[in-house]
Amino acid sequence: MSRRTAMARWLPGAASVLLVLAAWEAAVRAGAVNPALLPAPSVVLSTLGGVLRAGEVFGPLRQTLQLMAAGYAIACVLGIALGIVMGRSEAGYRLFEPLVELVRPIPKPALIPPLFLFLGIGVKTMLFIVVLAAFFPVLINTVQGVRGIDPVLLNTARTFRLGRAAVVFKVVLPAALPMIAIGMRVSLAIALTLVIVAEMLAGENGVGFLILDMQRAFRIQHMYAWLVVLAAVGVALNAAFEWVERRLLPWRGRQ
Amino acid sequence: MKNHHLSAVRVTAPPDVPHPTPAARAIELDHVSRSFSSSEGELLALRDIALEVREGEFLAILGPSGCGKSTLLQIMAGLMPASSGQARLHGRPVDGPPEGMVYLFQQYAKSLLPWRSVAANVALAFEGDARYSRAQVRERAGQYLALVGLTGFEKHYPWQLSGGMQQRVAIARALAANPRVLLLDEPFSAVDALTRVELQTLILDLWRRHGLTVVLVTHDVDEAVFLSDRIAILSRRPTTVEEVIDTGIAHPRDAIATREHPRFLALRHALMERLLQRGGHA
Repeated sequence: MSRRTAMARWLPGAASVLLVLAAWEAAVRAGAVNPALLPAPSVVLSTLGGVLRAGEVFGPLRQTLQLMAAGYAIACVLGIALGIVMGRSEAGYRLFEPLVELVRPIPKPALIPPLFLFLGIGVKTMLFIVVLAAFFPVLINTVQGVRGIDPVLLNTARTFRLGRAAVVFKVVLPAALPMIAIGMRVSLAIALTLVIVAEMLAGENGVGFLILDMQRAFRIQHMYAWLVVLAAVGVALNAAFEWVERRLLPWRGRQ
Repeated sequence: MKNHHLSAVRVTAPPDVPHPTPAARAIELDHVSRSFSSSEGELLALRDIALEVREGEFLAILGPSGCGKSTLLQIMAGLMPASSGQARLHGRPVDGPPEGMVYLFQQYAKSLLPWRSVAANVALAFEGDARYSRAQVRERAGQYLALVGLTGFEKHYPWQLSGGMQQRVAIARALAANPRVLLLDEPFSAVDALTRVELQTLILDLWRRHGLTVVLVTHDVDEAVFLSDRIAILSRRPTTVEEVIDTGIAHPRDAIATREHPRFLALRHALMERLLQRGGHA
């Protein structure tokens, strides 16, 4: 029975995807679009198959994911740390809040050209911009999560005379984790976006660099093949995040 | 005018009432006042409260809703500073949650850590103590859960338990801190009537067996009379202690028989009359 309900849930979505692919394929074959600019999905898939078989996908993909993972991890640690300071201390909040509100609204890719001046056209700039962009959603959600902790919970920690570090690690951090996870999820998508943009502007390898490079070399089928790789990466990252979230936050929404 | 003063119902205490004399003082409230700033200026919640809690007694603080009972208890607990005056525990001024005293919250569901199992919640009270190994922490948590009748629920999570069971977990955790003084803030007001009677019996039993000093804040006359040795009656805002009375009901108390005792009924009658008139309902 459960297999049938699962199928019933997936079927409409799968059908819409297949429908769009079929329409695309038909449009190319009927000559409605120029196959030099938009090759048929069957052609893109076979190109992708060639790239995969040649093992050409792993080097660039590893490069991109490593850069993204490093930037994302640094952003999460910094965002959570500063978020706890701002959420726990009124003085900390008043000190950092104006600065945060000044930098946060800037579209982060706009900062890449000035960063070239200081960090050069390369990994340092790319890493910095991923960290900066992924930092703010984690920070904002951590501050909100920490400030929203029920006073009863904090007073419970006090009546059991927990020390400063114990309060943070045993009470504040887990209590704010559902909110922090929401910020981390937003940041995950932002980190992927920024790493691709950064690679296009400053990369020498990586998926973002290749997509632009293939377009410039007019290897259009390969460009689309790498776009498919990127889409798959996005889906996989999101699924992985959901899986971790479910395992780490089983109590969410149960209070 | 009808005399509703309590001396009218005072009867001779039965001979088996435990007399905590010479009365060692566990807690002293010395001219404690507390005000809050609001949009209409300073609001005086507690005015010049003087109260002593004797070592080993069960004291109830009884007053209408919104009279500042919880505020008073939080000042005793060191969770809130007094605006003026002083709270002392065993002679030492309270300027933060002191050792040997634990506050049990009315909102047990918010006080338990939902990401921790029942046993891990209990362990919060003592796991910071380096004397206990991991295995000892687990064993001790199990012992305290056994005290409140929750053996077998160690690995459950709070949200998998009923309200009454959650409050039992909170009670086990409070005891696990090995306190001499337990402060109870309307701990049974959020559970159903039968569970309330069960928990009251449990608390009385634990109080007797562990030689605790208990201060219970409640607006429930029945509960105050059933549980306590003495009852401090609070006035309306700005709150003061109007009178402290001895209940004079023998221990051990029985959930059914004690409530039919003439002394219980007379006290309950007088206190109800008094609280209702105070609230302007009469």
